[in-house]
Amino acid sequence: MDIDNQRLGRHISQRFNNELEDLRNRVLAMGGLVEQQVADAVVAFASADAALAEQVIVKDMKVNSMEVAIDEECTQVIARRQPTASDLRLIVAVIKTITDLERMGDQAERIARMALHIVDQDRVRRVGHYDEVRTMGNYVTAMVHDTLDAFARLDVEAALKVPRDDLTADRQYDNIMRQQITFIMEDPRSITRSLDVMWAARALERIGDHSRNICEYVIYLVKGKNVRHTSIEEMEQTLLGKR
Amino acid sequence: MIDDTIMDTAPTHAMSRQYFENQNERRKLNIDYEEACIEVKNLRLYYGASDPTLKKVSMKIPARRVTAFIGPSGCGKSTLLRCFNRMNDLVDNVRIEGEVLLDGKNIYDRSVDVAELRRRVGMVFQKPNPFPKTIYENVAYGLRLQGIKDRSTLDNAVEKSLKGAALWDEVKDRLHANAFGLSGGQQQRLVIARAIAIEPEVILLDEPASALDPISTAKIEELIYALKERYTIVIVTHNMQQAARVSDYTAYMYLGELIEFEDTLSLFTNPSQKATEDYITGRYG
Amino acid sequence: MKKWMSSGTPWIWLNAGAVSLSLVMVVGLLMLITVRGLGHFWPSQVVEAWYQPPGSERVRLLGEVVNSETVTPAVLADAGMSVPEGASLVTRLLFKHGNRDLTGRDFHWYVEPFMSARANPADVIVIERMEWGNFYGYLRALHAGSNVVADNADSARGLLKDWVQRAQDLRQRIRTIERRDIGRVNDRMEALRLEQRRHELAGTLSASALQSLAQRQAALDQEYEQYEQQRQALRDELRQDVLVAETMDGRLIKIPLANIVNTYMPNAMGLFAKLMLYGHNLVEFVTGSPREANTEGGVFPAIFGTVMMVLLMSIIVTPMGVLAAIYLREYAKQGLFVRMIRISVNNLAGVPSIVFGVFGLGFFVYWMGGSIDRLFFPESLPSPTFGTPGLLWASLTLALLTLPVVIVATEEGLTRIPRAVREGSLALGATKAETLWRVVVPMAAPAMMTGLILAVARAAGEVAPLMLVGVVKLAPNLPLDAEFPFLHLDRKFMHLGFHIFDVGFQSPNVEAARPLVYATALMLVVLIVILNLTAIAIRNHLREKYKSGSD
Repeated sequence: MDIDNQRLGRHISQRFNNELEDLRNRVLAMGGLVEQQVADAVVAFASADAALAEQVIVKDMKVNSMEVAIDEECTQVIARRQPTASDLRLIVAVIKTITDLERMGDQAERIARMALHIVDQDRVRRVGHYDEVRTMGNYVTAMVHDTLDAFARLDVEAALKVPRDDLTADRQYDNIMRQQITFIMEDPRSITRSLDVMWAARALERIGDHSRNICEYVIYLVKGKNVRHTSIEEMEQTLLGKR
Repeated sequence: MIDDTIMDTAPTHAMSRQYFENQNERRKLNIDYEEACIEVKNLRLYYGASDPTLKKVSMKIPARRVTAFIGPSGCGKSTLLRCFNRMNDLVDNVRIEGEVLLDGKNIYDRSVDVAELRRRVGMVFQKPNPFPKTIYENVAYGLRLQGIKDRSTLDNAVEKSLKGAALWDEVKDRLHANAFGLSGGQQQRLVIARAIAIEPEVILLDEPASALDPISTAKIEELIYALKERYTIVIVTHNMQQAARVSDYTAYMYLGELIEFEDTLSLFTNPSQKATEDYITGRYG
Repeated sequence: MKKWMSSGTPWIWLNAGAVSLSLVMVVGLLMLITVRGLGHFWPSQVVEAWYQPPGSERVRLLGEVVNSETVTPAVLADAGMSVPEGASLVTRLLFKHGNRDLTGRDFHWYVEPFMSARANPADVIVIERMEWGNFYGYLRALHAGSNVVADNADSARGLLKDWVQRAQDLRQRIRTIERRDIGRVNDRMEALRLEQRRHELAGTLSASALQSLAQRQAALDQEYEQYEQQRQALRDELRQDVLVAETMDGRLIKIPLANIVNTYMPNAMGLFAKLMLYGHNLVEFVTGSPREANTEGGVFPAIFGTVMMVLLMSIIVTPMGVLAAIYLREYAKQGLFVRMIRISVNNLAGVPSIVFGVFGLGFFVYWMGGSIDRLFFPESLPSPTFGTPGLLWASLTLALLTLPVVIVATEEGLTRIPRAVREGSLALGATKAETLWRVVVPMAAPAMMTGLILAVARAAGEVAPLMLVGVVKLAPNLPLDAEFPFLHLDRKFMHLGFHIFDVGFQSPNVEAARPLVYATALMLVVLIVILNLTAIAIRNHLREKYKSGSD
């Protein structure tokens, strides 16, 4: 049985409704925070903004504490309400989603720390120095945004789009890697900078993977189908073909 | 769990998917592959001249499995259960259409001996209802009805049944004490012992734990789990968690209709019908 | 005030008041019966006094003061008694001076102011007699035939106890001969007569049979003669002993010891002796037979008859009522018809008992009894065997009377058996009948016992219908004895309730009977209480056995 936003709030127990609604809101709030973190981290990295990078690192503490709080709330709902069917799937999805969000936050923190590192070593040479990362960062930030959107609207179509985007992100990552390897081979002096770029790109790629995971949870939540570790074609086949 | 090395060495999705499906298949029950014990065909039941209480119910109760009926009060789940041993015959003005096949034979056939049928289909009720006799006599009641008088036969049967109902150790020293001296949970297990003493094929449980405390309930559930090796068990319960815990298959009934009948895991994680979803998650329709 | 009204307190007081009032009334009734009934057996002091109303001779009074009242002189004048001058209120005393054979009336009112020299002389003797009530007087001598054995009070007093004992023994032997030996001969003679009559009715009376019958008759006659002689001899022996006593007016009276039940000298007795006598009197009352038109002696036959009848009734009514209730509740299709039957049964409980009596007389006694006589006892007609009021018919009538109670109580009990228990039995493959007899009926047994308790309580207290179907004021034999068939269902019997009615309202001697009415009423109450307590004990035992855990 599919679930949508409208039906989610129709429990006879109004308190249960409120609890679930609160849970979702807090996940979205955490998501918003992480999204902001990613965006900021990218900016801080690309423009070597130490203050912004500091902010990102501080924010991660908040993300971590939110993860713990939401986790506890989920435990409480399970203990108190013994949720079944869509409610059970919602709780499971939330627990997994916040884990992935927290990891995304960690990756963003890593990028921010890299930015700080760059500033510390005073390696800032010129503006636009890390443009590859900025492009990929914007793309991944949009993916995170789409993911959260899919989660908020329980939108399967939107959730299906993210894995495709993730493929694109992966390709971008591959391109950056190839490009940077070329740079290194051409000019060994660029190794330091290339490594910075590669690390950042690697983090962004992971953030994309986490987004994909979250979208899979959204699909599980809405459709009750486990589509993890399957190809996108198979995903679409199970979800859309059956309809 | 699949660790990263497998992911790395088996990069194709197709392979990993197969691996998953095999895992799922092993866990998952499928009603189509089960051997039927009771088969209900187009069963309609009327109380008096009013609308039918059961509206064309058809289902297959699998043998040696636990099947749970859930649904709101008055949905007909108890009525359906009582159709399986013709307890509804006791109510005035009952009219039944359709068939209930037990091992392929219609139990509503005219040639069927109701007492004999009830010997094959035992029943346990909501409230423990031991007879005002000793524990021993309660268990021996069904056997005495069959004319068994031999003391050693009775002794053996009583011991076996009480052991089967996990009650023997608690009562073996006071077999000849009044059954009302037992606690509610013990009484209910005594009633189950009484039912299995006559070696039925099917045991019908009508909300067997609704009047019991959680510990007794857990014991009854444990007992149900043990009994399904030998008996086909059908249980009606208001407690969905209980249905989820003890049953292999769950049927959701609403207003005299069978809405959904599926393996319990599927029904409680991803029901296919909106009505089922609403009921088990506590939503209004 | 309004607040007090709405607080509910007045209601509590009202309810408590109603309960107390009921309790006071019941306890008061029981106390009255107990005090009056038990007081009767206490040996009270005998008063001697001199009495001289104006214008008449001075006489000696002797007797027990049983009552006293204070009245106006006008009342005395109306009663034809002399009135002391100048008194506005006068006390008068009721004397029981016995000696009904001499004075004609044994109770008399005397005006207290005319009495003098009241005393309780120690040598007054009270003699309980078989006839004419008590004798009050002074012991003077004992005669055996024409011999004077003791010629003064002291020596007579020494011998008296043994003599009374001997007289009692002799009377016992005579009674044994009369009841057992002569009774048996009589029975055999009656059987012989019936045999002859049977032969006549069947037309098989041959000469040889006739001769054999005559021979047996002659043998019996001879046997009878023998017993008769024995009896006569004992009687003569008994009649020899005579007690001489002086009455209050100084006459000397001879009282044969054959006539004496017991003697005692109340004024000379200590408390312990009185207690002994009291106990003896009580035992006599409970175990003895009535004398003197039921105004003296005991009530044992009445107690026995009541218990027998109640037991028989219980044996009859229980299966009938239980079976009827089971059918009505378990098998009959519940509908208008069954409801009408149920209402009728309930209404039956409200029908006046005398109506049942009339029905019992017409249906059981005349029709059923008459039919039985015609079919099985034609030889003894026209004298009826079962076609006359008797124990069986009385029990049947009362069974009919109490049937509704048992049916209603049993039905009530059956409805209260939880459905779950029946279903539990049915689900084990029991048929409806098996379920009923193995589970439902045992569980409903306490309710049946409750019905029976109510039935017993009602039946034991019922009098009116019994007068028509079997109770008599004096039955010659108990309904249960050592003669075959031991339990004589055709016999008439005595009943405590009827005994009260008879003693209280049919007795020629009202004053003598009054305490007996109380005593008998007490007996009846005690008996009903004992019967009920027994039944309740059985019920509680059953309840304990079949108590259900949940409710």
